[in-house]
Amino acid sequence: MNARRATPWVACLLVVLGIVLVGLRAYTRRESQLASGESLWRLTYTVKFQTEKAGARLSAAFPFDSAHCRVFRQNVLHPELQPERLRSPLMASREIDLLTLQPGEQSMTARFDIHLSRRARFRANDQEPVLSTQARAEWLRSDKMVQADNPVVAETLQNIRRDTPESGDLVRRLFEFCHNQIAAGEEGAPSDALGTLQKQAGTPLGRARALVALCRANKTPARVVTGFVMEENDSLKPRVWVEVWSGKRWEPYEPENGFARELPYNYLAVRRDGGEVVRLTRGSGLETQFAALRLPPGPGAGRPKHGSLVALADLTRLPLEMHEVLSLILLLPIGGLVTAFFRTIVGIRTFGTFTPTLIALSFVFADWRTGVFVFVFVLLAGLVSRAFLDRLKLLMVPRLSTVLTLVVLCIIFCVSLLDMLRLTPGAQAVLLPMVILTMTIERFYLTSEEDGTGFALQLLAGTVVVALCCYVVLRWGAVGRFLFAFPEAHLITIAALILMGRYTGYRLSELLRFRDFGPAHKPKESRP
Amino acid sequence: MTTPGRLWAWPGELRARGILGINRRNADFVLPSNPRSHYPRVDDKLLSKRFCEERGIPVPETYAIIEQEGDIRGFPGCVRDRPQFVIKPASGSGGRGILVVAEHDGVKFRTAGGAELELAEVRYHLSTIISGLYSLGGQQDRAIIEQRIIRHAAFERIAVGGTPDIRVVLYRSVPVMAMVRLPTRASRGRANLHQGAVAAAVNLLTGETFGGVCKNHVISRHPDTGETIEGLRIPFWDKLLDAAQKLAEALEMGYIGVDFVLDATIGPVVLEANARPGLAIQVANRCGLAHRLEYLDAQPPEAFAPARRAELVAALSGMK
Repeated sequence: MNARRATPWVACLLVVLGIVLVGLRAYTRRESQLASGESLWRLTYTVKFQTEKAGARLSAAFPFDSAHCRVFRQNVLHPELQPERLRSPLMASREIDLLTLQPGEQSMTARFDIHLSRRARFRANDQEPVLSTQARAEWLRSDKMVQADNPVVAETLQNIRRDTPESGDLVRRLFEFCHNQIAAGEEGAPSDALGTLQKQAGTPLGRARALVALCRANKTPARVVTGFVMEENDSLKPRVWVEVWSGKRWEPYEPENGFARELPYNYLAVRRDGGEVVRLTRGSGLETQFAALRLPPGPGAGRPKHGSLVALADLTRLPLEMHEVLSLILLLPIGGLVTAFFRTIVGIRTFGTFTPTLIALSFVFADWRTGVFVFVFVLLAGLVSRAFLDRLKLLMVPRLSTVLTLVVLCIIFCVSLLDMLRLTPGAQAVLLPMVILTMTIERFYLTSEEDGTGFALQLLAGTVVVALCCYVVLRWGAVGRFLFAFPEAHLITIAALILMGRYTGYRLSELLRFRDFGPAHKPKESRP
Repeated sequence: MTTPGRLWAWPGELRARGILGINRRNADFVLPSNPRSHYPRVDDKLLSKRFCEERGIPVPETYAIIEQEGDIRGFPGCVRDRPQFVIKPASGSGGRGILVVAEHDGVKFRTAGGAELELAEVRYHLSTIISGLYSLGGQQDRAIIEQRIIRHAAFERIAVGGTPDIRVVLYRSVPVMAMVRLPTRASRGRANLHQGAVAAAVNLLTGETFGGVCKNHVISRHPDTGETIEGLRIPFWDKLLDAAQKLAEALEMGYIGVDFVLDATIGPVVLEANARPGLAIQVANRCGLAHRLEYLDAQPPEAFAPARRAELVAALSGMK
């Protein structure tokens, strides 16, 4: 038997290859040093506040990728707060909205691991090639704090134009004016544009707003940026600066320290609408603390050189948004491994080969209580309606599609119901594999018609048991993190599957099935 | 029901008795000796039938084949002169989708089980077959309308509500083990073991039944009628074994199970062949398959010549 002899060798080869690749990568990662001018930082937000009633909203802006900065890990903890959405609106910021569900003390902690580079070497995410009409209108707007249409602002602009006729471009002259002519104000200095211009003094925010107001009065789009200057500090103060649209790109100006057109690489922007980093509505006692800590070089932040083969296998270099999806995909083979084990070694029968895996996978990224509630509800509703549909004698494909439609409606209804009862942490909690559910309902119905309800229930129980085991393995966070760091470890998964594919021993279920063949047993006879 | 001495058997014990497990059946026998490209010959009943007809192996006469929804209109015309017939899917498995009509007047149809069906219901059944409800993988299928087999008198008292069938497992075209499956009330007239049908082993040399199993338990009397199922001689046994060998050779499948039914007039008729015959036959025979298959694998190629197969069968039937 050729196949029998070759199998262990192929499996061995794959295991060795897998171990060698994982080992090599682990070794190079530990050895990896940061290039000169690069550093790793951990930025931590600690937020506390009180609410008298549910419905208070906390919105926090998070750092995002730019040419000098790459967020490679993110961990946001918000017990008892419901995330509403993570959005990237037109000001290219990452912002999370959290709603309170109960009154009382609330807290949120967010931690970001950031890779800073002096050279502009990362793929920037913060530059738009053209300014939309909508964005242009937004960045020319006059408002309560940036009074761009006030006559005083227009007059100041006229004076600057007249006084410094030919030295450099106008934006540069406006910046020089704000930097030199407006004094850094003491406590109580105005923080709006108009007040700052009138008093010739202002807070850093006031000076930034004055510059923005002057630019906007000149019909040049400009905006106030909030961010941090990364330096080791337990209580980091947010900083503000200005970005002005040059016609091709946003150019930064910082009136406080006098940086123009280019900022030091450790300036980290988090919000571009001039607001606070963390905002609270309908709550009180907001306390925020920001801390930055320099990290030693470590895994996940080596030096992902674009284009090198090693970088190809290093998934941690990818943007954060892709991490979750890729982890999910990488967990699928583990589900296949669990399924293969149960089918060929234990001998449990299920509906469909990968049904348990897919159900388990959808539960991993959901709240399991709501997931089970929706699952049972949809299954029962589906079976009842399937039994009813049988009387209509429909052809297969329209009938299956009808069941699918009913499953979709059930799930949508459940989402709505759970939201009404304020029981769910979000719609993603109930996104079950709908096609798989439809097929399960159909198969359950047919099996119970053809082979008896007992057998159908047996298959359903098998499906649930295998799904449960898949769930336990998939929920094991260390597995997901390890596979994400070392996807090549799946070579070992393949080896295990190949070995299982040549397993010719008895299934555990067969030890029960053929138990009458035990030696001590003399076949006893039953009288009907 | 029996009171088994224990809840499970150890793998060593099963190995000593030569019990073949599903994994080993698939990995060592089905996969190496049944080429995938030949599977349609057994999965597609129309193709199997053609193989049989070409070699003079009796099969139920085909009255009509309904390939498309449009053909269903012609169905009443097909069966006008046939008082009894069977509708079955060409790619069905496990007896699914089979409708046995015992009597009809073109408007009302009475099944063998006694149910009354309207013409519209029979037409709906045909269209579900065509839409692939019973086919492997849900592919578009065809419906076969064929001769209804009249149960042979030999099984009069031990088959309830249906026709018994005889399963012969062949390896390299040599009959290895055989059993007869008897429908019961629990199996609703179908000869499917996992639905509660009874199986009795058949001695390969004599065609005489012995042993018996129902739901994995050892029995020797039919659970519904109380008649003994042992010591019954199956008529035309040599003819049946001969047909099984011819079919196995023609299909070029190394490891198959061939199912026969005994017609009152024609004798053994091939119902279908199966590329993955089940393992319950071992329980019915109270004997494992593995030793017999290993014995055959150890024989030189010349031992498999058609003229010498009888020697192999004799040797196998004596093995425990």
